[in-house]
Amino acid sequence: MAKVSVLNVAVLENPSPFYSPFRFEISFECSEALADDLEWKIIYVGSAESEEFDQILDSVLVGPVPAGRHMFVFQADAPNPSLIPETDAVGVTVVLITCTYHGQEFIRVGYYVNNEYLNPELRENPPMKPDFSQLQRNILASNPRVTRFHINWDNNTDRLEAIENQDPSLGCGLPLSCTPIKGLGLPGCCIPGLLPENSMDCI
Amino acid sequence: TALRKETWCKPIFSVDIHPDGTKFATGGQGQDSGKVVIWNMSPVLQEDDEKDENIPKMLCQMDNHLACVNCVRWSNSGMYLASGGDDKLIMVWKRATYIGPSTVFGSSGKLANVEQWRCVSILRNHSGDVMDVAWSPHDAWLASCSVDNTVVIWNAVKFPEILATLRGHSGLVKGLTWDPVGKYIASQADDRSLKVWRTLDWQLETSITKPFDECGGTTHVLRLSWSPDGHYLVSAHAMNNSGPTAQIIEREGWKTNMDFVGHRKAVTVVKFNPKIFKKKQKNGSSTKPSCPYCCCAVGSKDRSLSVWVTFVAECERDLLWVMTLNGLGILVCSMDGSVAFLDFSQDELGDPLSEEEKSRIHQSTYGKSLAIMTEAQLSTAVIENPEMLKYQRRQQQQQLDQKSASTRETGSATSVAGVVNGESLEDIRKNLLKKQVETRTADGRRRITPLCIAQLDTGDFSTAFFNSIPLSGSLAGTMLSSHSSPQLLPLDSSTPNSFGASKPCTEPVVAASARPAGDSVNKDSMNATSTPAALSPSVLTTPSKIEPMKALDSRFTERSKATPGAPALTSVTPTAMERLKEQNLVKELRPRDLLESSSDSDDKVPLTKPSSLSKRKLELEVETVEKKKKGRPRKDSRLMPVSLSVQSPATLTAEKEAMCLSAPALALKLPIPGPQRAFTLQVSSDPSMYIEVENEVTVVGGVKLSRLKCNREGKEWETVLTSRILTAAGSCDVVCVACEKRMLSVFSTCGRRLLSPILLPSPISTLHCTGSYVMALTAAATLSVWDVHRQVVVVKEESLHSILAGSDMTVSQILLTQHGIPVMNLSDGKAYCFNPSLSTWNLVSDKQDSLAQCADFRSSLPSQDAMLCSGPLAIIQGRTSNSGRQAARLFSVPHVVQQETTLAYLENQVAAALTLQSSHEYRHWLLLYARYLVNEGFEYRLREICKDLLGPVHYSTGSQWESTVVGLRKRELLKELLPVIGQNIRFQRLFTECQEQLDILRDK
Repeated sequence: MAKVSVLNVAVLENPSPFYSPFRFEISFECSEALADDLEWKIIYVGSAESEEFDQILDSVLVGPVPAGRHMFVFQADAPNPSLIPETDAVGVTVVLITCTYHGQEFIRVGYYVNNEYLNPELRENPPMKPDFSQLQRNILASNPRVTRFHINWDNNTDRLEAIENQDPSLGCGLPLSCTPIKGLGLPGCCIPGLLPENSMDCI
Repeated sequence: TALRKETWCKPIFSVDIHPDGTKFATGGQGQDSGKVVIWNMSPVLQEDDEKDENIPKMLCQMDNHLACVNCVRWSNSGMYLASGGDDKLIMVWKRATYIGPSTVFGSSGKLANVEQWRCVSILRNHSGDVMDVAWSPHDAWLASCSVDNTVVIWNAVKFPEILATLRGHSGLVKGLTWDPVGKYIASQADDRSLKVWRTLDWQLETSITKPFDECGGTTHVLRLSWSPDGHYLVSAHAMNNSGPTAQIIEREGWKTNMDFVGHRKAVTVVKFNPKIFKKKQKNGSSTKPSCPYCCCAVGSKDRSLSVWVTFVAECERDLLWVMTLNGLGILVCSMDGSVAFLDFSQDELGDPLSEEEKSRIHQSTYGKSLAIMTEAQLSTAVIENPEMLKYQRRQQQQQLDQKSASTRETGSATSVAGVVNGESLEDIRKNLLKKQVETRTADGRRRITPLCIAQLDTGDFSTAFFNSIPLSGSLAGTMLSSHSSPQLLPLDSSTPNSFGASKPCTEPVVAASARPAGDSVNKDSMNATSTPAALSPSVLTTPSKIEPMKALDSRFTERSKATPGAPALTSVTPTAMERLKEQNLVKELRPRDLLESSSDSDDKVPLTKPSSLSKRKLELEVETVEKKKKGRPRKDSRLMPVSLSVQSPATLTAEKEAMCLSAPALALKLPIPGPQRAFTLQVSSDPSMYIEVENEVTVVGGVKLSRLKCNREGKEWETVLTSRILTAAGSCDVVCVACEKRMLSVFSTCGRRLLSPILLPSPISTLHCTGSYVMALTAAATLSVWDVHRQVVVVKEESLHSILAGSDMTVSQILLTQHGIPVMNLSDGKAYCFNPSLSTWNLVSDKQDSLAQCADFRSSLPSQDAMLCSGPLAIIQGRTSNSGRQAARLFSVPHVVQQETTLAYLENQVAAALTLQSSHEYRHWLLLYARYLVNEGFEYRLREICKDLLGPVHYSTGSQWESTVVGLRKRELLKELLPVIGQNIRFQRLFTECQEQLDILRDK
């Protein structure tokens, strides 16, 4: 089980003009004090076509994190329009909030974002070159898509010990969190770190 | 007999019913981890409840175990659940009551966990899979056994303390059971033995091997059980004439004459119903109850379960693995992932006796059980010493007083539910962005300190600390430079005018002054970005218009390639770029800014030269305090904190372009005060004392003379010097001035020259006086301290090289204690004092010291204001002690770690106070340390302290013992310690020893 679980993400000031900063109020719970900071990121997907156009709007360290419930507001500047393909300026895209601990991503909260002109005229006849100042950004706040990943929460020394103590015939080459499962045929001991813990519960 | 099944796909290795019978726990294999699940009992008991969708079946799932869970056990109180698994860990769970049912974020309102159970302790000691755990009667101990061949007894009152490790088995230990009376614990292992251990001394009582001789190690578990009346111990997996049996072992003489026969394969588990039964006579008119008896269930690998009542059995058949009996039902779990429930009628089993009746049976059979004596019960120990009794009584009285006081307080206190520091959650949310603490790490990254809105209900910490305070961490340097001066001494309102006219004389370029500029740039950029947010949204787009696109969907679940590592660096975002530029800009601005400001007029000076200004203030302040001390106990020590900067080669090159190309020399250079026409220095305001310096006032025979004037409470003296005076300092005992040509002159309070001029090795940077001590810090970063009254050197031209190793380090503050001990506070938060007797720089304070933040000795503080111990150490470290506040962060840290850090911290404090020769603080910390040792029961260290304080009772010539420490008489200190020692009855021997020896010494 993850030491940190996200309780809620509130999308603040939504909808808002394209150039407004993103603001998310994030509440999370920590079951055990963390030795190191959490790293949160807001990633704006510039184009569905390629990750190339992803923009990391900002990343913050959050800490110290003792056991308990905590909240903070994560504010990040609007994406740089020059990095967004012109064809993708208007329409649906995605903004992602990710959190990593020791460089391992354990949660990803995604929202659909719709950018469109408020002015009906512009909506009818969108300019060839998108006018970002006229765009309104609407985050579909009611439908967060949450994906959780299993990561190793303990520090590296523990991990090393775990390796050493493991049965070499079984343990070698397997990811650390993947300890042999007793009494089971182990149908392809999957790499837990890369599989979603519970793949998105959405509507 | 009703039978129902809860299906589950993975093996279940253990099941246990909560003592109140409302829920049960299962442990086994989860998806890719161990899994503990707490289930609701009523759907199992009542078919109606099972069908009712509003009644939850699963209450809580915990997948914290990294590997398969082999055992789950409720404590007898039902408060805790212990689980042990293949990950070598034992986890102790407690229900968190502050949160009700919660949904999982993003899971569209489906209830996840109806109850919240949290891990309050993780017990790590076993080097192999944990096979069984067992709570002792009264929950004083928790035993665990493992494939590492050991049984570990944990102190359940004080996790994760280990009371004993029982070694003796030569095979995997696979089952544990406590004697219901608490005198024994029995373990069964693959080494074909069953061992019974005494709880009195944790030694082996007996090892039974005979019934197990024929056994092979083929069972996963060997769960044995002790009958609730204590008479019988029933083993798992024994053999009798090649047939599998459950061996009955009689408590009386550990005889093995009986067994349960009938199973076709090895018996893996035996479980007694915790109740003792008696059967009413059914047909007779007189209800003559039969003898009380016990009921036992035996499970085997032949997939069958037999239930035995007073050892006359009827047989049930089912799959089984592990079971627990509760009242009249049995839960059975199996390798196929199912849990079965067997319901017995009272006719079948008889009537259970109440707990009182049960304990009456125990008492009549075994007498009062003395084996279990918890810490609390120690209070019934015999007090051997009347003095001890006195202290014990006094302590009890104090506790009573405190209790009544606290109840009075809580009466008026408001509840904190939903309210943090008097604010509702809504208020907090409104202002969260403004309020949250955001800082920058050393590498310029944003760091947010989250607002803590609820503490976890661990029960370990009674006080809730809501506001998260950032750990000093990498920020200590910045914080120190801005905090140190004002924090040390508040400004006296009467003083500002007197130094307003004085010209600052130190050279500019202070690292500290540049930092606020950087901060403000950051703030500005923050403000700028937040303004557009004020624009109000006009039209709300309906969500229906948003059509999910498949290409985007994958982004929700797949980890981005861009995210791992340090993406802020690899993919350049506009904000990051700008931020970088800003920072560069700040850096570039620094030297220019400062050059400009230094050439500015005087009225700008306070802004740009905080160091020189604060120096003046502080000197004045300090002397004020110094004078006040006469007549009554000092409020503050006679210290002179001064801020100054030490220029490292790096800053020098930045400042002077001419030096740009020269290789950075190792030599440190400190700022030198420039010559001034005249200046005034207020030494103190009460009694008022100030020094006036006028350079080159008169010319006598071609020689320019400078005049030094000192006014002390109206009495004035003056003298002349032949060279220009650069800086001056004074105390109640001496006045000293440093002149050009590296000359240092010292005068008495009446203006009499005490020494011929001292030739300094290099030009003066800072001059200081405390009492009769004069400290000179030269531009070459060497430090000297002299005692001018005794005319001895205390510190001789000691270089600051060793402490200013880093190129960016600056001295943020200097102190000279009344014992002539110089202390350097550095910009990295560390403070060193020079120990003249050892000729070493000793680290006495470190703002980044995690020990200080982890240490929790609040319980050892005699009263609230006890923290306010003043002295050099307090000044160096800052008044606000982090104790406890930061400790609250660690409440999931094992107690042992907490103890260790607290001990280490307190020892550091005692040593630092000793090094600083601050007797007052030494006494304070020593007592605190001793109190902590007493509270936590550390005998050896306590004994060592007492021994040192007491010294040799009988005079011996070879003794190296000093009777005093930093001016305090050691034996007087010991007398102060005695009442503290007397508070813990454990130390009554030590108490008596010390007291008697002190008495002997007094009589001599």
